[in-house]
Formats: sequence, structure tokens, C-alpha cells
Amino acid sequence: MTYYLRRALLAVILLATVLAASSITTACGAPDSDKADRLQSAGVLRVGTEGVYAPFSYHDASDQLVGYDVDVARAVGDKLGVKVEFVETPWDSMFAALEANRFDIVANQVTINPERQQKYDLSDPYAIGQGVIVTRADDNSIKSLADLKGKVAAENPTSNWAQLARDNGARVESVDGFAQAIKLLNQGRVDVVVNDSIAVYQYLAKTGDKTVKIAAQTDEKSEQGFAARKNSGLLPELNKALKDLSNDGTLPKISEKYLKANVSGAEAQQQAPPLSAWKLIADNLWPLAKAAITVTIPLTIISFILGLVIALGVALARLSKNRVLSNIARFYISLIRGTPLLVQLFIVFFALPEFGIRIDPFPAAIIAFSLNVGGYAAEIIRSSIQSIPKGQWEAAETIGFNYAGALRRIILPQAARVAVPPLSNTLISLVKDTSLASTILVTELFRTAQNVAAPTFEFFALYGTAAVYYWVICLVLSFGQSRLERRLERYVAR
Amino acid sequence: MTDNGAEDKAAANAEKTDEVEYRVTAEGVEKAFGDNKVLKGVSFTVERGTATAIIGPSGSGKTTLLRALNALDRPDAGVIRVDDVEIDFSKPVPKPEVRKFQSRSGFVFQAHNLFPHKTVLQNITEGPLVVQKRPKDEVIKEAVELLDQVGLAAKKDQYPYQLSGGQQQRVGIARALALRPKLVLFDEPTSALDPELVGEVLSVIKDLAVEGWTLVIVTHEIQFARQVSNQVLFTDQGIILEKGTPEEVIGDPKEERTRQFLNRILNPL
Repeated sequence: MTYYLRRALLAVILLATVLAASSITTACGAPDSDKADRLQSAGVLRVGTEGVYAPFSYHDASDQLVGYDVDVARAVGDKLGVKVEFVETPWDSMFAALEANRFDIVANQVTINPERQQKYDLSDPYAIGQGVIVTRADDNSIKSLADLKGKVAAENPTSNWAQLARDNGARVESVDGFAQAIKLLNQGRVDVVVNDSIAVYQYLAKTGDKTVKIAAQTDEKSEQGFAARKNSGLLPELNKALKDLSNDGTLPKISEKYLKANVSGAEAQQQAPPLSAWKLIADNLWPLAKAAITVTIPLTIISFILGLVIALGVALARLSKNRVLSNIARFYISLIRGTPLLVQLFIVFFALPEFGIRIDPFPAAIIAFSLNVGGYAAEIIRSSIQSIPKGQWEAAETIGFNYAGALRRIILPQAARVAVPPLSNTLISLVKDTSLASTILVTELFRTAQNVAAPTFEFFALYGTAAVYYWVICLVLSFGQSRLERRLERYVAR
Repeated sequence: MTDNGAEDKAAANAEKTDEVEYRVTAEGVEKAFGDNKVLKGVSFTVERGTATAIIGPSGSGKTTLLRALNALDRPDAGVIRVDDVEIDFSKPVPKPEVRKFQSRSGFVFQAHNLFPHKTVLQNITEGPLVVQKRPKDEVIKEAVELLDQVGLAAKKDQYPYQLSGGQQQRVGIARALALRPKLVLFDEPTSALDPELVGEVLSVIKDLAVEGWTLVIVTHEIQFARQVSNQVLFTDQGIILEKGTPEEVIGDPKEERTRQFLNRILNPL
């Protein structure tokens, strides 16, 4: 029985190691070379986009990535004769990911400004909008930019809108996207949202929201284009494609589809009425479950098993009489426990590429989570090993065991009983911590919920569903924990 | 690892002619814990097929001496030979050599130190099966015989916590014997037991002595030592102050300190 369990465990560990190793090597394989030539020879244009920024980049009712910027990027790909691959990335990490060569261009309403022009290759604009200030309908205190002084604005912290609001004396609350900003405004938590007219009209038309209004316009004309890494060599091709698309009527057509209809408001009446929250939940039960089963749970299991292997090694090193070894272990534990998991994730995913180590999102998440579990579980394993009486080591020695044999056959099975409750805690924390992987482009349960929630503005329904799923997973784990504990308690007097 | 123990013992008894054969020889054994010199150069021999009792006041070094015979406490100096393995502890000793040395003896602890997560039978078969890699059928058969010998055949599938202290200690003895050692070491095997359980353990040890096992026993049971042993060592302040037959050391001690000690033990009030 235990023999087969052990074999199965070993197989899983091996598999996980091989998977992680293979994706690292494939990811490291292709250096960032030859730019435009690479584009043609690779036949792929990799496009970074938010996926939560309607109507420019979002998931429609059938979970397809659509939007103005998305369709324009696809059209450009067609013109260039290359396949377009979208990499969904939160706005705040967009340029870090671009620099890290996660993709070739950003198509996400990147506003053209001098600072950006210095750091990136920016294409000719494919969207031109005007900045507007949105307030609640009953708020008449704002007539112009000057009235922003002392107000609170909800903005993407790194966007030009946030800068504009700050420059005019507003305090900026950081949000993750336009949808969230409008939500905060609706809830009365902020006073204004400064954003592009196009996005605002789209929102008003789609939701029929009467509680907010456009209170003022700014002189801010915004020109949006693609961004690529500096000296990418992509600009001539991109600009030519955009010009062709403009001339042959493709750009206006896409614009019509996503923007003009909404600006006019006429077609908005014909749009399907907003889905009810229950219908939305029902429609998304399976997609969310699928994300949990195919990403969140494997991510948890693989990271936990690898983490335990690391933890055992670190715990033994920590207990070692070798001072160098035990100090290295101490340092590792201190480092892992002393830094935020989110920072660890970002270092593995966004910072390592600076040293030429590019790891795909899923394996990057596994590496960060296993290292994290390794640090926490090491202390649990160490203390559980130390809780086993010295006499057990001695008895094992007298029947002929060496260190490894005594550890494996006598000490660890007993230490396991002590370690199971705190290790279960670590596992349950890990389940929930995997939601942080959404920030490094892993489309797990929470990210999936975000994608659906953003265009529909049904935050409670979708985040609530995600929360229930996490809870169910943790309930199952707790049940497993008590069964395991009972099994391990069988040799203890009660 | 070891050859057949039973035959060996029989042979040992048969061969006991005029040529004395030693199972253990210890020469100048020293051991200190920090500044505390516990053994200050101890020498003695144990004849094959005999029982040796080590008695002496607490802190006199008797347990450390016993543990040295199994290298559980590695001496700082001295040469110890157990059966065919001799180690000079004043030099660095490679680990495999230590394990070979340890494999010649079985050890019975004061606090039994049974493996709580294994059944009685598994406790006994763990060493022979996993370390010595002997055939499973043979090992289990022998383990059941050993359990029968210590009167616990019915308990083989229970966990240690389900046994009384005396039963646990008897399992501890069976576990030591299952390794087919050339020498069995007992570290105060009855001093952690309730008085009414002492007898059952002592009688098992007595049987072993009769069977011809080579035994070294640290004990406070003076009457038991007198009955069972062929040789008594009285340790005091890190040396063997007196050694001889039980009649000599217990019946007619030469040293004043030995007399005092025996008097305290035999007449506590």
C-alpha cells in the first residue's frame, strides 16, 4: 500500500521536474535576435494586451479576446502575413513584459507621448480620442480640469490619465482597469474618472448607466499607437500596414464595429440587454471550474510537491553539523520568509529575463511557489524532525541503519505525524496564493474571473463564484487532512 | 551478514574446552563529555557464552562503558574488539567500519525505544529485512519464534503503545536478538519498569544466559546479577574498581567503596 503510494509520489515528482526543466530550456532557447526578420521567419507577431479594457481589449460573451486594438492588431498581422499571438498582461506589467521579450508589440491604447517615444518604438496612431472627465450624474462641482483640485480620481497609476489628474491637483486611487475605476465611481469611493472619450461612450452605451455622466472635456487629444522595444526595426512594417488598413477602409470598419456605434448611441439600443448576474454565473461556472482544474489545482499540487522536496533538503541542511550548509539553509529560509510572495513571483518572471533567463508563465509560477513553500515548510519539517526523541535515532543505529536509512524508515514517518497539521496549513495557503499567478500572465481561476468580470461589470457575481471555488478546494483539502491525520494517529495512544 | 546464530551458539558451548575464547576485549577505554572524564582507561574481557554484569553508583560510567561497546558513544581512546571486529578509537574510524562493529552486537535500551509507528512484528523484522536484507519468509518465521520465546507471540500485530512496560521491554529484547548479534548489551533493562513487571523481563534475560548468549548487562538488580552472571564489574569514578565472579565481588567485596555501594543497595533503610 505505502509502497505504491511512494512509487506514485516519486513518479509525480519526476514528471513535475521534467516538465519544469523542459519548459525552462525551451523558453531560454531563442535569444532576442534579428527583429523584423525574425517576425517574418517566425511567422508570428506576439501582441501584449490587457484583455480587461473594453472596448479595446476584452473577452466577449463567448470568451473570445476581442476589441478595437485586438482587431486592429489582427488586421495588421494579416497585412504582414504573420500569425498574431496575444499575450494577456496586466497594464502595470505591460512594458516590463515588453522589455522582457514576452511579446513584440503592445496593442492596448498606448498613448503616444515624448517620454514613451524616447524609450520605445511607437507606431503611427490608429486611434485618436479626447480626454473627458466622468463624474456621478448628481455631481455638478466639476466643469473643467481646474475643478479636479482636491478630488479623488480612480486611474491606472501609470497611465497618462493618472498623470493628468495629478497635474491638476487630484489624488489618484490606483485601479487595475477602466471597469474597476467606473465601479469605484459608482460606489462613491472616488469623485472622478479621467479617461478617453471612446471608452466612456462605450461604457455608457453598453450598460445604460444613468448614474454617471461626462462632466467636462479636456484639451487632451490622445493618439494611440503600437509600442515596440526601442530599435525593434518593426516600425516601417507596422506603419505601412496601418496606412494600408486606413486606406482600404479596414480601420474605419473596425472602428465602426467597436466605437462609432457606441458613440452614436443609436445601436446601443439594439444591443442585447445586459446579462443577468445569475445567467452570467451559470454561463461561467464551467469556464471557471475548468481554469481551477487545469491550472489552479495542478499549479498547487506540483508546487507543493516540489516545495516539500526543497523543504526536506533545506531542513536537513539546517540540521546539519556542517556550519556552511546550515547557514546557507538559514539564509534561504530568512530570505523566503522575509520577502513578499508577489515580489518573488515578479523577480522570477520579470527580473530574471534581464539576465537572459526567460521562463514561461506557468513554470515561472511553479518555481516561485515551490521556492516559497520550500522556505516555509523547511521550518515545519525541521521542528518535526527535532520533536522525535533521540532514542529513536539511537535505536535505528543499533539495528544497523545509517543516517539516510534511519531518517527514511524511522524518523520521517514519525515526524510526518507532527508535520501534517502545519503542512496542511501551508498547502491551503498555497491554493489561495496561486491567485497571485494572475499577475504574471497565468490564466488561472482568478484571472479567468477577472476576464469575465471586466466587460460585464459584474464583479460580485464573478469574484464571488471564484471565491466559492477556492473555498470548495480548501474544504476538500481539509477533509483529506483529517483523514490523513487519523491514519497517522493509529499508533498513538488516545 | 552474520552466520547462523543458533548453530554458532551451540558450537560455542561445545568448544568451550581449555582454550579460552573472548567475545569482547576492551583495552584502555577513555571517554569525556566536555571536561567531564567519564571513563578513565577501562580494560576488561568477556568470555564467549558468558554473562557479565556491570554494577556501580550512578555517574560511575557504567552506561557510557556499555554504549562504548556498541559505539553509540564513541570513545576518545582505547581499543575494543567485539567478535572479529577490532577498533582503535584513538584514530579516526571510517563509518562503514563503525557500522560493521555495531552489527556484532544488539542493544536493549532502558526506555525500550521501540518504533511507535511499527507493529511489534515490524519492530523485530525491520533490521533483518531492511538492513540485513535477509529473505522475508525466514525473517518472519524467526521473529515469531523470538516473540514466542519472550512470551508475546499473541501480540505480534499490536502497536507498542498497546503493551505494558514489561511487554515493551521484552519486544525490545526480541528486536535485538533478531539481528543475530554475537553480543547482547542491556542498559538497565528494568529500571524504568514498575516493580511488578521487573520479574518477567529478568526471567527472559536469564533464559538467554542459560542458552549460551554472550551478554553484558548494566543493572541495579544485585540479586539478579549474582544469579545470572559469570563475571561482575564494579565501576566507580570512571574506572573498574573491582572485577571477578559474583561470589567474589558481591559475596565478598575487597574494596571499601564496593562494600558501601552494596550495603546501600541491599539495605536501603
